[in-house]
Order: sequence, then C-alpha cells, then structure tokens
Amino acid sequence: MLALQLLFNALALGAAYALVALGFVLILNATGAVNFAQGDLVMAGGYGGLVLARMLPVPGVVLLPLLMAGMAALGLMVALVAYFPLRRRPPEAVFISTIAIGIILQNGTNILFGPELARTPALLGDGEFRWLDGVGGGLVVSAQSVAIIVVAALLIAGLHLLFSRTQFGRRLRATAQDREVASAIGIPVDAMVAATFAVGVALAGAAGLLLARGFFVTPNDGGNYMLKAYIAVTIGGWGSIPGAVAGAALIALFEVVFPALPALVPALGGPAFSQNGATIVLDALILVILVARPQGLFGEASKARA
Amino acid sequence: MKRIAACLLLTAAASAAHAASVTLPVLVPLTGFLAVEGASQRNGAILALSTPPAGVTAKYDVSDTGVSPEVAVNALERAAGDKPIAVVAPMLGTQMLAMLPVAMEQKIPLLTISGTAAITRQGNPYIFRFFPDDATTKIAQVRFALENKGVKKPAVIYQTTAYGQSGHAEIVNALKKAGIVPVYEEALDVAVKDMAPVLAKARAAGADSLIVHLHGGPSALLLKAAAASGLGLPIIAGSGLSQPSTINLLEPAELAGVCAETSSSPVSAESPAMQGFLDAYRRKFNADPDGFALAQYDGTMMALEAVAKGATTPAALTQALSSGSYAGLAMTYKSNGRGDMAHSAVIICYDGKSRIPKVVAHYTNAAAD
Repeated sequence: MLALQLLFNALALGAAYALVALGFVLILNATGAVNFAQGDLVMAGGYGGLVLARMLPVPGVVLLPLLMAGMAALGLMVALVAYFPLRRRPPEAVFISTIAIGIILQNGTNILFGPELARTPALLGDGEFRWLDGVGGGLVVSAQSVAIIVVAALLIAGLHLLFSRTQFGRRLRATAQDREVASAIGIPVDAMVAATFAVGVALAGAAGLLLARGFFVTPNDGGNYMLKAYIAVTIGGWGSIPGAVAGAALIALFEVVFPALPALVPALGGPAFSQNGATIVLDALILVILVARPQGLFGEASKARA
Repeated sequence: MKRIAACLLLTAAASAAHAASVTLPVLVPLTGFLAVEGASQRNGAILALSTPPAGVTAKYDVSDTGVSPEVAVNALERAAGDKPIAVVAPMLGTQMLAMLPVAMEQKIPLLTISGTAAITRQGNPYIFRFFPDDATTKIAQVRFALENKGVKKPAVIYQTTAYGQSGHAEIVNALKKAGIVPVYEEALDVAVKDMAPVLAKARAAGADSLIVHLHGGPSALLLKAAAASGLGLPIIAGSGLSQPSTINLLEPAELAGVCAETSSSPVSAESPAMQGFLDAYRRKFNADPDGFALAQYDGTMMALEAVAKGATTPAALTQALSSGSYAGLAMTYKSNGRGDMAHSAVIICYDGKSRIPKVVAHYTNAAAD
C-alpha cells in the first residue's frame, strides 16, 4: 500500500512538474533560446493565484482559466521586453535578459507580498479519500492531488490537440522547426513566437497555482523550478515535448519513490537512498544520458543546447 | 558646595547621555531562504530603534544581506563608513563567520540572533548573540522529548543547511549523553517537496517520535504529510515551527500535539509586558511576532539602554554588553564571556484547536546542567 501511496504522490508531483517543463520546452523550440525566467514565472503564477483568490473567493478551478489568461498576457510582455529586442543578437543576450526578468519577478514579489510562505486556494477542496486504512497505513488520496493530475492531463491533452489538430498549432510547430522557412511560406513568425511565449507562460502559471497549494510558494522558489525544468528537458530530449513530460515524471519518481525504497525493500539502505543520495543518483543519471544518449530519451528537435 | 558641584556634574553627564545620537545599521537577510526569519529580525530591531530610551536618537538603514557571506561582508564594510556604534548583524551563521574578522578589525559590536554555535567560539570580543545557541535550544528540545514524551527511539530529521547541521550535532550529542541513539536520521534539502519518503522510512525504522530541526516551510510540509498519513508519533520540532507565518499555513488539527523549542513565544503573551510588545508589533507591522523578532528587539534595546547610560562609543558599548545584564521581555541577558547573551529556551505545544501555542516548559542554562 505504501508503494501505491508513493506512486500516487509522484504522479501528482510529476504532473505539475510536467507543466513547468512543457512551458520551458515550448519557448525553447520557438526561439532556440533558454528562458531562464521559467521557474520565476511558475512562482509568479502562485502569487497570481493568490491575488485572484483575494479578489474572487471561488475554488481554484474557477480561478485557473483567469490566471492562465493573465499569465499569457505576462508571457507576451516577456516576449516584447526580453526576446524581440534581442532576437538577432547572440543567444546569450536572451539568456541574460530572461535571467533579468526572473530577478525582477523575484524581487518584485518579495516587495509586494513579503518573504513569508503563501498558499493558493485548493482547486476543488481540501477533502481526502482514505482506502484500506488497516493495510500498511492505507492509501490517502487528497482531492487536490487528484485535481492536479486531472488538470495537468487536460492541459497536456489540450496542448497536444492544439499542436496536432489546428492550423494555429501547425503554424506554431512550423515556426519551432525552422523560423526562416516558416517566414518564407508566409507564417507570421513573430506572432507565432509571441503566442508561444503566451502559451508557455500560461502553463507556468497553471503549474504555480497547482504547486502552491500543497507545497506553498515564496518569492525564492523560481530557481528550484527552473532547475527541474532544465533537468526534465535534458533527460527527455532537448526540445522534445513527450520527453519533457517523461523527464518531469522521472524527477518526481526520484524525489518521492527512490528515497523511500528502503521502507519498501528493507534489504536496501545506505546513503544512496537518502533524499540527498537520490539527487546525486539522478544527477549521475543525467551525466550518463548526456554521454551515452546525448539526444535524451525522446530524441532531439533542436541542435543547440545551452 | 561640593555636593552641588557633584550634582551639576551628574546632571551634565545625564544630559550628555540623554542627548546621545547613534547610528545602528540593520544588516539582515531579506531575500533567500532565510527571508522570513530575516524579516522578523529586521522588525524586532526596527521596533526597538524606533522607540529608544528617553534621550537617545537612533539612526538606522536597513540592508539586505541575502544569503551570501560576500554580500554580508560588503554590507558591513559599507556600514562601517558611517561610524556606527554597533550593527544588527544577520542571523545566518555562515554570514556571521565571514563578518567576524571585519568586526574585529573595525572594532564594531555585532548584535545578532544567529543560533550557529560556532560564531561565539572564535574568540571575537565584538560578537553578542541574543538568541540561545543551538546547545541551549537543542538540549531543551531533547530534554523535553525524553522527560515529557518518554522518547526512546527517535528519528532525527534536519536540514542540510548550516542551521540544520549545527542543530543536528547538538541534538545527537544531547541524545548520546542520555544513552540514546536515533533509530533513523536524515538531512533534507530545503527544496524537498514531498515528505512521504522520510516519514515512511522513520516509521519503517521503528521510530517512536520525530525530533525535527527544519526551517519553517519544510517543517510545515512535514507536519502536513504526517497528519495526512496518520503518522501518530509525537513530533518535537525546532524553532522553525514557532513562526506565526508558518503556523498560519497549517490547520489547527494538523498541529495537534506538536511541540517545538524556541527562545520565546510572544504570541502566547505570557506576561503583560509581552502582551504590550505583541500589541506594538502588530500595530507597526500588521503581523504577529516570533521568537526571532523578540530576541532582536531585546538585544537592540539592551544596546540602546547602555547608550542611554553613557556607553556612546563602540568601545564603551562593547564593554557594557560584555559586563552588564539586561532584563528583557523574553529573558535576562548576560554574556557568558564569549558573547552568548541568551541562556533560556521554552517549549511550546499546540492543542489542535488553536494556532496560538501554550508555553509548557522553560529551560534556563540547560546547556550548563
């Protein structure tokens, strides 16, 4: 039963991480540049949810589309300020400009909200379901975790439909694959890049709302989420959307299931299965992947890795 | 005639003291993982500096030291240019260790609430710590666990930061002196989100309790996970759990039976004076104070009282803080010769119905027992 509990926890955490990584990879594909502000945009999504909740005391699931719309607008602003003026400069210029955006967001939220931990409203409620209480501690499934999994699955499915079934999505993909050719065949590349920023940042905002309920949010959380997105995309395949989801799931497994293995299999133990050990093993795995399969688990759409 | 002259001299001396105007910069971590605690430290200092004893005027600037030792050292070197009488110094141990040589060189007293034991063990006469060090608070935490909760097989869960490592060493030492070896120990990074693995391993190791030394956010995550999993073990936490902003993230039921060590619990308002501090703090900052805020308030007030009594130079203030004692709101402060001014800790417990804890035990000079 403990194994089921851990897998469920990992699934919920991985679902939210997947949204972070997806937003990251979309912008990466569209611009060829790493958006180092992605983690801070997740954090900003958490605070955005907090602000909306103060204005509208309704469940988080009602706030989610409003928040995503607001975050999409923020994404357009990020594109206008940090990408378009620098797009013909070396890629390092965009790296630095997105780092600057991240620092502005971090310090801005610190000034506006203070450094204290904050918490967003639950998507549906704080209830929980308990099964088989007498068996190995039972299985506890919180309504929030179920809602995270469902919302993330819907957003990922919606994204898949957008890219595969709509003309707009096909234009976005064409822009991501080759901006020059896309421009030559009449696709408004700048508008597509701006739209990608909007979608990517909206996903970051959704992740922020989902994560900040169970794990809280502070202005300093961005760096950690950025690192997870980067690792997920590196594992899954630089530029690969399915790879980003798989990479996020792997990170969650290493955070939740791997360090708990000694509780499941008493023969296992030692420093490798501590929380720190799990991080070291995951990072070692990344090194192995980079050497043995540089294109990541799901291939590589983009040639350059920052 | 001689008596009149003596009176005039005393009056003149008193007037000089009353006219004292001093600069006392506030250098604290307002960004980074200690931002919440740093804000409490800042607020405690500001409350004291904005209500100094009669006749004393205190000028101060607040600087954010972040969590980097280099930034803290630069801030201190900049502040030294203003000829401060003392500096409110950050609570982050690694920053304090880096600042100590500068304080020694510039001969500036540092007023801090850092719990890191090592900062007062460097032979530096300019360090004054107004928060009980880990040796005091962790011994109180362990004694309470053993004496009141009957703990015999604890799991010790701590943070990988300097704060966590320092406290962990003291907890294990205190347990060892009682002949107890933890059945499970784990250090957690501050970024760990899901506490289910650590709780599962503690349970699998046969722990009869959790002795916790985590920052505020991770403490809250651990308690939430423990409540959700129905862990059912006594939890004796560190001072990270005494912060009202952390407690507000938890439902009272999730706190049921949980206890924590801290230097003081101003929200519990044990005395009328403490209630006065609580009211003044709420009026000024629209927030509840924690033990860090009160400790820094007391420490800053002790320095300002010394100024009011004539210690108007850094050297005189250093001497006054080294040799005097001060009855603060949380406790009586007196140096042990190394700059450790605070020697008391309390244990607070939550009843599961309210977020206001009750002070259930006081430990004074626990480290010396």
